[in-house]
Amino acid sequence: MRKQTLSGILGVLAAFVIGALVLALQGFNPVATYGALLQYSLFSASGFTATLTRAVPLILTGLSASIAFASGPVNLGQPGQLEMGALGATLIGLFVHLPSAFLIPLCILAALLGGALWSGLAALLKRAFAMDEFIVTLMLNFIADYFALWVITYPLFDPSASSPMTRSINTAAWLPDLGGVNTSVLFMVLAAVICWLIMSRGRSGYEWRMTGQNPLFARIGGCKVDANYVRVMLVTGALAGLAGGLMIMGGPHRFVKGLGANYAWDGIMIAVVASNGISGTFLYGLLFSALQQGAIGMELVTAVPSEFIDVLQAVIVLVVVAGRVSLNMVFDRLATRRKLKESAR
Amino acid sequence: MNVLFGLVSAMVVGATPILLAAIGGTFTFYAGIFNIAMEGMMLVGAFCAVLGSFFLHSWFLGVLCAIAGALIMAGIFILFAVKLHTDEFLTGIALNLFAVGLTTFLLRDIFHVKGAFTDAGIRAIPSVKLPLIDGIPFLGRLLSGYNLIVYVAVLATVLSAFVIFRTRFGLRLRAAGYNAVCLNSSGVPASMIRIWSLIVCAVCCGLAGAYLSLGYVRLFAENMSAGRGWISLAAVILVSGNPWGIAVISLLFGFFDGLTVFLQGSRIPTQFTAMIPYVATLGSLYLYSVRKKRRQA
Repeated sequence: MRKQTLSGILGVLAAFVIGALVLALQGFNPVATYGALLQYSLFSASGFTATLTRAVPLILTGLSASIAFASGPVNLGQPGQLEMGALGATLIGLFVHLPSAFLIPLCILAALLGGALWSGLAALLKRAFAMDEFIVTLMLNFIADYFALWVITYPLFDPSASSPMTRSINTAAWLPDLGGVNTSVLFMVLAAVICWLIMSRGRSGYEWRMTGQNPLFARIGGCKVDANYVRVMLVTGALAGLAGGLMIMGGPHRFVKGLGANYAWDGIMIAVVASNGISGTFLYGLLFSALQQGAIGMELVTAVPSEFIDVLQAVIVLVVVAGRVSLNMVFDRLATRRKLKESAR
Repeated sequence: MNVLFGLVSAMVVGATPILLAAIGGTFTFYAGIFNIAMEGMMLVGAFCAVLGSFFLHSWFLGVLCAIAGALIMAGIFILFAVKLHTDEFLTGIALNLFAVGLTTFLLRDIFHVKGAFTDAGIRAIPSVKLPLIDGIPFLGRLLSGYNLIVYVAVLATVLSAFVIFRTRFGLRLRAAGYNAVCLNSSGVPASMIRIWSLIVCAVCCGLAGAYLSLGYVRLFAENMSAGRGWISLAAVILVSGNPWGIAVISLLFGFFDGLTVFLQGSRIPTQFTAMIPYVATLGSLYLYSVRKKRRQA
């Protein structure tokens, strides 16, 4: 764990140095750029709360990918599952009229179901026809994207809007702000805590992780590997769906075109840098959220295109992941040398 | 008759980028690399092609730039996955994200536009009339007059089948994937073969990217590879790397892709016709698994 933290911090710092070099090469001032980035994401009240709100879909899709990768199934379908979850919440929010106390849980349930439905389809195809979930979930992403676009262009189209979007959902389903922070953050934190409990304290989490590391061992040890596979797919799909639902209920309160596109691969990226750990996913989710939030202010102040952050994120992923492997090799070598010295004595 | 010609040409247009990327992917497939970076290589290739074509006023230099861009991506892959032993899957995902980020960033930074860049100054890759066949009435219209890259793709397919199954390099390539330890002990470093396979893959993906941005259209749009790299990966896995199989699968995808264009005027909403290639991928995965099950039984 300490090694992980060390390689993570070193990796992020190294990535920032590389980013600074890129900026300097383009003729920008790296110090001023990073200063603006921090100013608009962490060191101002409005920036900080916006960072927290933005972290909701990032961390939830990250958790989805982390749990899936740690347990075996290569679920790359978070973008599609997010959109289906968002669609579920939007449907309930548009057509069901209830007081908030009932409508909000109902919307969240619909979001969970929407995501689980889409990942469950991939799980079904895998179990029934042995179709690799890795490609199936990817293809389902595109299909969900076009399907959602169709839904908001034709059946649920808001006639008063100029681009494809639905009408606004019932205000009873809106998640309120508490002291500037949207309550969707609370739901996200709750989900993260539950994930952590399941994965590191629960029996099913242990079974899942063992299956991920060695399916044969898990099977011989008495785990129902196939049933667990379906469960993991459903849970991770539901997490991504929750991300979509919370985005609708906390943010624009309607399904707008390109809702999931901005968060498409971020969850997978976060899971990859966090090497599928729950707490790591949470922290990297916050980091990436801060970067993305600060990007807007950075563009305003220093004229560096906000897309620079996309490059920086990918560099962080590459450097942290490669750094972890290299650092492990260095540690192993040091340990070997120490052992050799001990045995020589 | 015109419908037939239209459909065939739409099929060829759709199949070419997938075929080229999949031919590249088959080299890394045989070398035993789980290479999912085709999508990113293609995207960078498409961007560099526009970059080169616009600033150097030549489609040929644009294509060279596309190949160079894809080679840089391959260089990063080699550095991390082959040299530093980072997980290939993770490296591939990171590279694909890097490609999306980098191209959107540079699109803003160099051309100062968001979304897409198109300009009359971008030179397109020309179409070629085959010298002898062009004169034949029916066959000429069916086979001649396509974009240059289309013929390059056909050539690449034939060449790759020859190289992989008939040459010493091909034998070593397959050995690197089949039993790397054995290849190492026979005096040929498997990592060297892997590096070469990635270089070949990058050249193919660069050409595929150039076709995307300079072949059929003359523009670069954000994320314009639109999952074609993933579809080509699916094609490689479906036929276990066989170049002839890849050609058939690519044409099939091209057909469905062409169908998408064809159905645009009809009553079916475009959102559903746009799904067709991805649904077709799922369908072929299904057929593959059924066939595999039957063979095992």
